[in-house]
Amino acid sequence: MLVARLRFMLGRGLKRKLSDYEENMAGLSSAFDSSRNLPYSLKRQLVLNMCLTKLQTYKMVVEPNLHRSVLIANTVRQIQEEMRQESSQQPVNVCNGIAPNPLSYPGIDSSGISLHLPSGSNQQESNGCNSWSAEGPIENSLLMVSDDDMSSAISSILKDLDFMEDISPPTSLVPAGDDEPKSPESTCLKLEDDRQDLKGAECVFGSFEISNSTSYLKDLAIDDIFEDIDTSMYDSDFCVPPLMTPRPPSSATEETLKTFPSCNSSSANNIPICRTDLSELDHIMEILVGS
Amino acid sequence: MAGAGGGGNDIQWCFSQVKGAVDDDVAEADIISTVEFNHSGELLATGDKGGRVVIFQQEQENKIQSLSRGEYNVYSTFQSHEPEFDYLKSLEIEEKINKIRWLPQKNAAQFLLSTNDKTIKLWKISERDKRPEGYNLKEEDGRYRDPSTVTTLRVPVLRPMDLMVEASPRRIFANAHTYHINSISSNSDYETYLSADDLRINLWHLEITDRSFNIVDIKPANMEELTEVITAAEFHPNSCNTFVYSSSKGTIRLCDMRASALCDRHSKLFEEPEDPSNRSFFSEIISSISDVKFSHSGRYMMTRDYLSVKIWDLNMENRPVETYQVHEYLRSKLCSLYENDCIFDKFECCWNGSDSVVMTGSYNNFFRMFDRNTKRDITLEASRENNKPRTVLKPRKVCASGKRKKDEISVDSLDFNKKILHTAWHPKENIIAVATTNNLYIFQDKVN
Repeated sequence: MLVARLRFMLGRGLKRKLSDYEENMAGLSSAFDSSRNLPYSLKRQLVLNMCLTKLQTYKMVVEPNLHRSVLIANTVRQIQEEMRQESSQQPVNVCNGIAPNPLSYPGIDSSGISLHLPSGSNQQESNGCNSWSAEGPIENSLLMVSDDDMSSAISSILKDLDFMEDISPPTSLVPAGDDEPKSPESTCLKLEDDRQDLKGAECVFGSFEISNSTSYLKDLAIDDIFEDIDTSMYDSDFCVPPLMTPRPPSSATEETLKTFPSCNSSSANNIPICRTDLSELDHIMEILVGS
Repeated sequence: MAGAGGGGNDIQWCFSQVKGAVDDDVAEADIISTVEFNHSGELLATGDKGGRVVIFQQEQENKIQSLSRGEYNVYSTFQSHEPEFDYLKSLEIEEKINKIRWLPQKNAAQFLLSTNDKTIKLWKISERDKRPEGYNLKEEDGRYRDPSTVTTLRVPVLRPMDLMVEASPRRIFANAHTYHINSISSNSDYETYLSADDLRINLWHLEITDRSFNIVDIKPANMEELTEVITAAEFHPNSCNTFVYSSSKGTIRLCDMRASALCDRHSKLFEEPEDPSNRSFFSEIISSISDVKFSHSGRYMMTRDYLSVKIWDLNMENRPVETYQVHEYLRSKLCSLYENDCIFDKFECCWNGSDSVVMTGSYNNFFRMFDRNTKRDITLEASRENNKPRTVLKPRKVCASGKRKKDEISVDSLDFNKKILHTAWHPKENIIAVATTNNLYIFQDKVN
């Protein structure tokens, strides 16, 4: 079947890029389990990153597992709530230690880790706080997620899970992000690196569509995907599987042939080019594991 | 019935049989997805990922000799569900059998319900060991005779033939579930049964396939508000109006169908307050209940979450009466288990016939039994290494930390790909069926 074959092919392509990432994550999670010295906020960030990665993977599957998605979304919400509470309690210039938190977990390591809050979020900015403590490169490269990212990510996942009820062409691969106007920064996870200039917003999360990462498919001519598929049974009126759902805003006929219909410049107008590029995530992971 | 294991009067479990391929290379379709004894224990059904059902029957002859209890041999094999494609939603519907439930026997035939993600089927398994011979209008090979050649009339007689076991689908209950079916449960009224998916529970009549009643619906108006799903459901063994369902948040709700048509409001809510000292990022995930089973008596119910088994008294809602740790040594490995998705594994649990012992599976092909009376527990392994009949199984031990004693296994050398999710206990005897990935092990207690 067309859909199954495409899923298979995409899955394999993604797997090649994800495998290194996954290996690094496995190393991190065993570090989480075995190390007592990992600061609490770093542990929390690791868990959050794992959750978001999983949610993103599920987004790419046609029918994500509802039970798992809900559990992971709840975990993200819980972490988000905790971070929100912490940030609302802390004074703006937090450079030494972590403010006491009623929801604090046991084993908090209150060695001068500060929370660097991303700009453009609805949290207080740590103005003028040279907040990076000298803990080393790991803290300097924390992936920070803003409130809006997480809320919108969870919303979009759960909304998409609801598509199963609809008779109309499923919207699972149509990014929810297109339905909601978002401010440019809030769609992105920011990679901060003290030693280099900001590379630009890295969108792991964004609108959950890998169409934003044209790098995946640029070495695959569109025709290659379809060349051994017999399409004679599909006439022009056939409403093909979601991968080819014609998008209202786009009128170009070649849109219907593209694997991800929303991969076009017109929809990207309102959103800065956020490239979900996992080779750059590889780079991030290298930094995180301190190699 | 004797206890779980150990010395004294306790049971010693022996290997009896193993079914399935020997290769390490597991064919996906052969992965066992459900195991269930029927009400007499004579039949043992397994379902697999390929949509097939295999039924084993216990030999009756050896029981008299009491050297061992009867062996289980293949009785019937049939394809219950086929893969489907939902064209409307562009989704593949897996043929994997999620659950099998036997119906109580009413006549010579056996009936079972089997379900995949979307469709439940009622199968009739019947034996044929006689066939009619001597028709007037038909030859023996089935060809019709010319009526003008018939000169005498005779009455066909039944002659014995080789036993043939036929499985035929009698009812197909389809199109009632939007989400994936995780449970089915037959009612004690012998007329109805329930089926549960992630968000809804439906009540069916066994005779009626074109409609069902929705009795529980936890889908929020706005899916973005969804925080909880249904993970398992079961009818009470004696009260035909009572059922329970468990959730991903670790709660169990008991509902009474007499209270209202839509049982969204529970009669009882069973929930244990969280232990603050065990709090972690993964607390909610590991509290998700993967299985709920009533005791045979109907007084208790058992729930399985990721790390423990809990026994609840139906009269006490605020905490379980007993809690057994299945593999507490995994608590410090939760992040790794989350990363490789093992934390989402759905282990089942079961009672023995007298409700004195409970059993559940773990990793490394280990399974655990807890004796409720003696409070002793035992860990055993399902492995082909102990495959001589009547070999007593050696208890296993996992070393959590520190010095590993001889014969102990350290947590880090556990094989998390070898998981025992499905186990079943004979309703009357000490015979258990334990499913590894693609093999079915049958163990019995040692008969002297």
